[in-house]
Amino acid sequence: MVLPVVVVIAVLVLFPLAQGVFFTFTNINEGNIANPILDRPASYVSVGLDNYLKILSGDASYGAFWSTLVRTLVWTFGCVFFHYTIGLGLALLLNRQVRGRSVYRVLLILPWAVPAFISAFAWKYMFNAQYGIINQFLRFLGLDDPPVWLGQSDWALVAVIIVNVWLGVPFMMVALLGGLQSIPGDLYEAAEVDGATPWQRFRNVTLPGLRSVSSTVVLLGIIWTFNMFAIIYLITGPNPNTRILVTYAFERFFSGASRDFAVASTYGVLILSVLLVFAGVYRRALRKQGEVW
Amino acid sequence: MRRTTLVTAVAAAGALILTACGGGDGGSASGDSGEITFWDTSGPNESPVFTKIAQECATKGGYKVKTETVAFDQALNNYRTAAQGGQGPDVFRAEVAWVPQLAKLGYVVDLTGTELATDTADFLETPLGSTKYDGKSYGVPQVTDSLALFYNKKLLADAGVTPPKTWDEVKAAAAKLGGEKTIFINNDAYYALPFMYGAGGDLVDADTKKIVVNSAENVKALETAKGLLDAKAASTALDPANSYNNMQAAFTSGEVAMVINGPWSVADYLKGAAFTDAANLGIAPVPGDTAGKGSAPVGGHDYVIRQGTKAKDSSIKFIACMSSVESQVQVAKELGLLPTRKSAYENADVKSNAVVSAFEPVVTAAHPRAWIPEGGQLFDPLKIAYADVLAGKKDAKTALDEVAKAYKDTVVPEYTVG
Repeated sequence: MVLPVVVVIAVLVLFPLAQGVFFTFTNINEGNIANPILDRPASYVSVGLDNYLKILSGDASYGAFWSTLVRTLVWTFGCVFFHYTIGLGLALLLNRQVRGRSVYRVLLILPWAVPAFISAFAWKYMFNAQYGIINQFLRFLGLDDPPVWLGQSDWALVAVIIVNVWLGVPFMMVALLGGLQSIPGDLYEAAEVDGATPWQRFRNVTLPGLRSVSSTVVLLGIIWTFNMFAIIYLITGPNPNTRILVTYAFERFFSGASRDFAVASTYGVLILSVLLVFAGVYRRALRKQGEVW
Repeated sequence: MRRTTLVTAVAAAGALILTACGGGDGGSASGDSGEITFWDTSGPNESPVFTKIAQECATKGGYKVKTETVAFDQALNNYRTAAQGGQGPDVFRAEVAWVPQLAKLGYVVDLTGTELATDTADFLETPLGSTKYDGKSYGVPQVTDSLALFYNKKLLADAGVTPPKTWDEVKAAAAKLGGEKTIFINNDAYYALPFMYGAGGDLVDADTKKIVVNSAENVKALETAKGLLDAKAASTALDPANSYNNMQAAFTSGEVAMVINGPWSVADYLKGAAFTDAANLGIAPVPGDTAGKGSAPVGGHDYVIRQGTKAKDSSIKFIACMSSVESQVQVAKELGLLPTRKSAYENADVKSNAVVSAFEPVVTAAHPRAWIPEGGQLFDPLKIAYADVLAGKKDAKTALDEVAKAYKDTVVPEYTVG
């Protein structure tokens, strides 16, 4: 009875994965891949660990792996930190009895409802160094030389983090709001009777009550953000100052120099490895805290 | 229970079959569907005219044409992806640098021996060169272009400045034209070429298989460009994502006096506030290091037919009609784009078109590019380097050395860095 499951998993997951891993040991690219439509047989050859060595040497022609990895981590943890803290703050505000609560809730979820590419283009115009509304506002405030947001500096990374935070907060807010509403009200009443301050109630009732939701959404958020390609690519294009691992893999695979499937696959395998290691460490840490996941 | 197993088995089998047969029918030569899909990569100003001519050709030739407009910066990628899977247009308007690349990858039909490749004496030499790869013919030149210096006649006349012939004259003119408002430099790779060619540099030397992008001439060229910014004689967006649009906005609003751009931008300019009177738009050859030595790259577009098309014969007829003298004259007349046929330039209407007549000497003097399959891929590394240099993040030598290394590692590994 287990056979159909094995077959489906093999076809949907393992076969493509194995093929991707196989590509990393070859020099496959658009010019030497087999193409039945053009009557062309495959002519790629095995190159052993060459792709890994080239990438892991940190060579700039192969995406400067180590500095790109550091940038990816800055991007991921920067985004998820603000997603979580802002999302939690908004969820706490909306969890109280305020007038027009549902209206606020709908408004706050709007960024999530707009297609990502529309947001990306809107922000691209707002970040325009000369005509964008952001720099016009900064100049109005008396800042003579506002930054070139999407240029050749780290401001570009700050800019895309701002956009991604804007996009990601609604999801965190909704998830955490759900978590907050599942905490029984009696706990708060009991704490209040015992004379707990609001901060103590937050620390000792709210946070523990949210733990299972938090651990899941934070892990999800980290994986999504680590692999968030659309926002960065649509706003800054192939700018090395915002390059993260997945955007570079895309550049190698689709645009850029050579449709180098081999190097792109190698990046894919390295991204997968980083995330697997991270997920393993994260799970172990949670289990130590008594969380079953 | 049995039913679930059966359903799963069927699903699994289906999935297996789907993965096993990706593709199938290659383009069989026999039979012609008589329906052509044409991917037009021209902008919103130009596309209606091409569509109109395409429909006229179809009516005359007795086949059907569907024109699909594709964004220029996405077109090459979309075409390659589609062609790889046997999909996509029958006829494609490819930028000149793309043709050798598509030919090498086998995505376009070899036209050698067809009527399109035999009767080519009327075409200008340089655009025709872009359709050749490995001794075979893969396309037909549609339009040709190059970069020129566009200037706001009124602003220059008010300041008492004549169109500059050298970069030093640009710098000198800045005192009268209001410093940074003199010229707008687009920090994109293609727009770095006039500086490089004008200084005697090039990207690669295809004959001796050498990478020459980090030559002393090119270093000097980028330093010239950066020098204009440093001397406050030019402005740039420093913002690659918005650079082109900012350049267009600054020039059409009359904020800057000069830009370097190609004939495709004329329609945009004439819509702007500064050029409600079309006579205010001046066109001159790009400045050089010394007067008369300005040199801009040859651009333009070719028609190609996709390998695997089901309408090869109709496509050949269609391209013959689209690139006929008559069609080229119409395009030149209505859009000011430059014909690729010598005889089209003799037409009175074409001669009297201000844009065409201004660009004709520019195009004749334009610097040919290396027609190699990798030609289109030389720009990605250069784009980043040029933006870095203009932003003052790297000096020209370091940036160009990195470009040379990227060319050697990923674009033309068989070349030597020299």
